[in-house]
Amino acid sequence: MEPELQKKTASPPGIWEIFTTWLLLGIQSFGGGSSTFLLIHQACVGRGWLGEEEFVRTWALAQISPGINLVKLTVLVGHRLRGWPGLVAGVTGLLLPSAALTVLMTAGFSVIRSQPLVQAAMKGVLPATIGLSLAMGVTTAQPVLARAQKEGRSRLGLHLAILVGAALLMAVPGVSPLVVLLLAGAAALLLLAVIPVRAVPPVERAPDEPA
Amino acid sequence: MNPLNFFWLFLKASLFSTGGLGNLPFLHQDLIGLGWARESDFVTALAVGNVSPGPTGLWSISLGYLTFGWPGAILALMALSLPPLLALFVASFYNRVEKQPGVQNFTRGLSLGVAGLTLTVAIGLAGSTITDWRGVVIGLAALGLALSKRLPVILILILSAVAGILIYGL
Repeated sequence: MEPELQKKTASPPGIWEIFTTWLLLGIQSFGGGSSTFLLIHQACVGRGWLGEEEFVRTWALAQISPGINLVKLTVLVGHRLRGWPGLVAGVTGLLLPSAALTVLMTAGFSVIRSQPLVQAAMKGVLPATIGLSLAMGVTTAQPVLARAQKEGRSRLGLHLAILVGAALLMAVPGVSPLVVLLLAGAAALLLLAVIPVRAVPPVERAPDEPA
Repeated sequence: MNPLNFFWLFLKASLFSTGGLGNLPFLHQDLIGLGWARESDFVTALAVGNVSPGPTGLWSISLGYLTFGWPGAILALMALSLPPLLALFVASFYNRVEKQPGVQNFTRGLSLGVAGLTLTVAIGLAGSTITDWRGVVIGLAALGLALSKRLPVILILILSAVAGILIYGL
């Protein structure tokens, strides 16, 4: 390791710098969350405000509390850097300009939506939006399922059953999403405690078995 | 439309869910049930949320605007700004209990539940949006491209707009 590469944590940025950093993040990141996430990572770890490990841990914590993940990440990082003023500076910078642009784009769309060409384009965009939403659902489940796979087939099956069960239960009219989430959590809490984690990793069978 | 009730429905949706689309099942059930929003408002808001800068979760601001104008957008912005503050308490609490296996299992169940809800609502919205097999193809292509993570979301949407113009506009 080159000693120069081991950057030590720099002194925390001022309130104004936090605000302008998140302001730029908020308006640069067209096209959804993953690009915003990468930009926040660059800002925090790249400038030595947070170590890589601390950043990853903060991201994990952000994902288990209520609300938009990137806003929670900003809350935690802003608070860590400069307390409540840092938090407010970060969240304001992230949300105000991008929220204003979101409303303006919605309003602009309402004006042009009756144009035939726009209608044709939207007939392509709207199905794609459904596809993107499905992808978001899959991405949410991916890390959990990847861990379950390492724990054995019965655990993976149980994880999939909870996911499918939640999807089916939500399809029943009148069922509250909150009830579905609590049941999914309770099912995992009870059943994962019963079904053991496979202790031994799978051994590759010798080639004497027929392929 | 009662502003306080409107604000509460948006706040509740963010408070009891996680992730950018976690509030979708709540808002869909409540606003459609009350007749305050149409299916097309949801699909349009999701499209704008994907295109506009910032987190995709800002889609609910677009929904607020479509259903209740500027006041709706401001109420929706306030409703999605408050719940993330709880992350501070969750972080300090979680640091104390994270070693308990029960906590980890419950958290896993929540993630799976969120994924399941998102799938059901997305498929439900497809019913009102996708009108023929070509729409199905576009939707599946977007799903595949998004999962491959090769293309940025904005490019997927631009491609789908071009596809729409070529298929339906000419």
